[in-house]
Amino acid sequence: MAAGCTFFGGYPITPSSGIAEQMVRSLPGAGGVFVQMEDEIASLAAVIGASLAGSKAMTATSGPGFSLMQEHIGYAAMAEVPCVIVNVMRGGPSTGLPTSPSQGDVMQARWGTHGDHPAIVLAPSSVGEVYDLTVKAFNLAERFRTPVIVLYDEIVGHTRESVTLSPSVEVVDRVAPDAGLQNFLPKAAQANGVPPMSGFGDGYRFHVTGLAHDERGFPTEDAEVAGDLITRLHTKVEDHADEITDVETFMMDDADIAIFAIGIVGRSAREAVGQARAAGAKVGLIRPVTLWPFPSAEVAAVAEQVDTLIVAEMNLGQMIGEVERAAGQRTHIVSHLRADGEPITPSALLDVIESSSRSEEGS
Amino acid sequence: MGRSEIRIAGAGGQGVVTAGRILAEAAILCGRQATHSQVYGPQSRGGASRSDIVIATEQIGFPLADRVDLLIVLSGEAYEKYEPELGDDSRLIVDSGCTTDSSNNTTALFPVVETARSISGGLLATGVVALGVLQRFTEVVEADALRSAVARRVPPKHRDMNLKALEAGMDLVCVAS
Repeated sequence: MAAGCTFFGGYPITPSSGIAEQMVRSLPGAGGVFVQMEDEIASLAAVIGASLAGSKAMTATSGPGFSLMQEHIGYAAMAEVPCVIVNVMRGGPSTGLPTSPSQGDVMQARWGTHGDHPAIVLAPSSVGEVYDLTVKAFNLAERFRTPVIVLYDEIVGHTRESVTLSPSVEVVDRVAPDAGLQNFLPKAAQANGVPPMSGFGDGYRFHVTGLAHDERGFPTEDAEVAGDLITRLHTKVEDHADEITDVETFMMDDADIAIFAIGIVGRSAREAVGQARAAGAKVGLIRPVTLWPFPSAEVAAVAEQVDTLIVAEMNLGQMIGEVERAAGQRTHIVSHLRADGEPITPSALLDVIESSSRSEEGS
Repeated sequence: MGRSEIRIAGAGGQGVVTAGRILAEAAILCGRQATHSQVYGPQSRGGASRSDIVIATEQIGFPLADRVDLLIVLSGEAYEKYEPELGDDSRLIVDSGCTTDSSNNTTALFPVVETARSISGGLLATGVVALGVLQRFTEVVEADALRSAVARRVPPKHRDMNLKALEAGMDLVCVAS
């Protein structure tokens, strides 16, 4: 709401229901709208409609609900509709482990909807960061006219802790048309690759479709026009990846072992790094705050520095492929996985650090 | 104090999540950092329920208990599950209805469930009685901070009953020692 959100459309599902619960309390009294839809497909449809009508809109879901939203995530990417989708990850597949944490959706958040599409995914690890990154998600959605996903897990979703909130936040709004009513082309991009956006009913020409379309917004099968559109959807994000990417590093200055982890595992790793440092190990942490676009340059730099890079994730090995791609042959990569509904604990990571230190000494 | 990890484990309906939330808030009122995380099953009533509270003087990394310093157990199922995980120097507060084994000198038995039942007529105040025991037993938070947190976090119509439950929990320790 600090970012300007005035619409929430959703369907309650553990462990994301707390968000809907708070929004139904807060939004109507502040002039906003809360709609509980019949399912998650309709929820994101309602969010897209609200955004097209000029509102900043969001939804929140988990597990199977995120699967149902994939169709409309693609629609929002193609039609260039700014919106924010929160996915609080729980154990899957299917209904899986409804009340347990997981990081099993990190690739679904990137590639869940069909077709080539851009993705911006933010991965908070604390209550305070959920607040900051949800604001950032709205700002990025508005700036790039694209859906933005805020991705965290059940533990972060169900943790209470003290937070310090900034009294004011920077708010970015979608760029409004500056052409006359007659000349406006709803999908003609500015130099930054993003078309200005009018609200439905503002009087500007308005056409929205999931089909490949031209600058007027009308469907086309012209290969050149369709190719230009798909390319632009990517480059409008990828060309600005360095402005989106955010990585937290901890005790990396002289590290010869590093842990790569996101979200709650990043917090586990921070604890483990602190304890291992106290025991004399030169270990550090790299935690992507923005997961997609993937922070390849930052991972490559860490890989260049350390002898061992431990990739810890609460799934059966989804991010490690990206890390290997970014790291190349620069370092030895160790995978630490867990997918049984229990978290990766600091003690478990300490054991991995210790065995990595030993094998380094042995080599 | 670096980092103190407290786990409250019991059954759904005993107020385990509320108690955890109250304890974390009391710690924050005492000027510390605190986190509260809840772990529960898919059922809305019954089943196992757990609160992990981490209290520290500095920023908290992992918000769940990793090596539990103090375990409070309020059901037989929770006793079976979590007691074996305790380290040698961990302390255990257990409802005397769950076990009669207090052979370990770090284990303390108190009639928490029975006391809650006598005050509330049911199970709901069990977690708050346990907080009273915890406060007097460990002084991990100040009594007044705990009283304020209870008053803030329970529904107004149950406030007096819960404050009474908190005092009753504190009194259990006085009687025992």
